[in-house]
Amino acid sequence: MTILSARGFDWFITAVVGGTAAAWLVYDAINLARARRADRRDPIVRDRHFGYVMGMIIGLIGVIGVLRHHLG
Amino acid sequence: MVEAAMTGAPPELAATPRSRVVSPWNPANAITAARYLTLPPLYWAIAHGHRQWATLFILICGVLDKLDGLAARVFDCKSPFGELFDAITDGICYGFGLVVVCAFGWAPLVPILFVVGLGLANTLMRLAYAKRAGRAINYKSYANERLVAYFGFLIGFATAGYEVTYFYWAFVPVVCAILVHDAKRMLVDPVPAAGGAA
Repeated sequence: MTILSARGFDWFITAVVGGTAAAWLVYDAINLARARRADRRDPIVRDRHFGYVMGMIIGLIGVIGVLRHHLG
Repeated sequence: MVEAAMTGAPPELAATPRSRVVSPWNPANAITAARYLTLPPLYWAIAHGHRQWATLFILICGVLDKLDGLAARVFDCKSPFGELFDAITDGICYGFGLVVVCAFGWAPLVPILFVVGLGLANTLMRLAYAKRAGRAINYKSYANERLVAYFGFLIGFATAGYEVTYFYWAFVPVVCAILVHDAKRMLVDPVPAAGGAA
C-alpha cells in the first residue's frame, strides 16, 4: 500500500529535507549577519547568536545528508 | 516557540502573562489539539510496515505544528496556555513517534538513549533554573527551537528509511552543544527579571 513509487517517494523526501535544510541554512545565516552588531555581553543576544549558528549547523547536516543519500 | 520568534521578545519573556484574556478554545489550540489525531494512524502505519503512510502522518503532524503559530498570529489568540499546550504537544507527539519507530526497529537505539539522557539532564536544569528564578518560568532558547524541529524530522527519517544512521548520530553532538550552552544560561548567567529585560 503505497502513495508514490519508491523512486518518487525518495525524491519527495529529498525535496522536503534538502529544501528545508538549505532554506534554514540561508535563513539563519542572514539572521546571524543582521544580528552581528548587537551587544554580545547581553545573554539574550548571545543566545540568539548561538541559536542562529546551531540552525546553520543543522541546515548543513541536512544538506550533507541529502548529498550522502544521492552521491554516497 | 513560533510565537516567541514572531513577537521578537526574548524567548524567556514570551510566556509572560498579558492583560488581555484569551479563551483556550481558539483556532490555534484547535490546530494544536488536531496533532493528536495523527498519532493512531501513525502507529497503525508503522505497525503494518507502511513507510510512506507513516511519513505522511508525521509530516502532517509537523505541518500542523507550524500552522498553529500562524493561526495564533492571524486570529490574535496567542496565550501562555497556548504556548505551554504547544510545547507539551511537541513532547508527546514527537516522543510517541520516536518510541514507536525505535520499538519497531526503524531507528537506532543507542543515539536515542543518549538523547533521552541529555533530555532528562535538560529537564533537571530547568527545575534548577525555576528554583533560581524563584518563580515558574518557561525557559526557552533559540537553539532549542531549532533542535525541536530537527527532532521532528528524525521521526520522518526513520519512517522514510532515509539516511537514518547518519541523521540520528549527527543529532547527538548538536544536542550536546546546545545542552552545554543552556547549562551555562540556566545555571550561571543572571536570571531575567519578571516581566522585564534580562
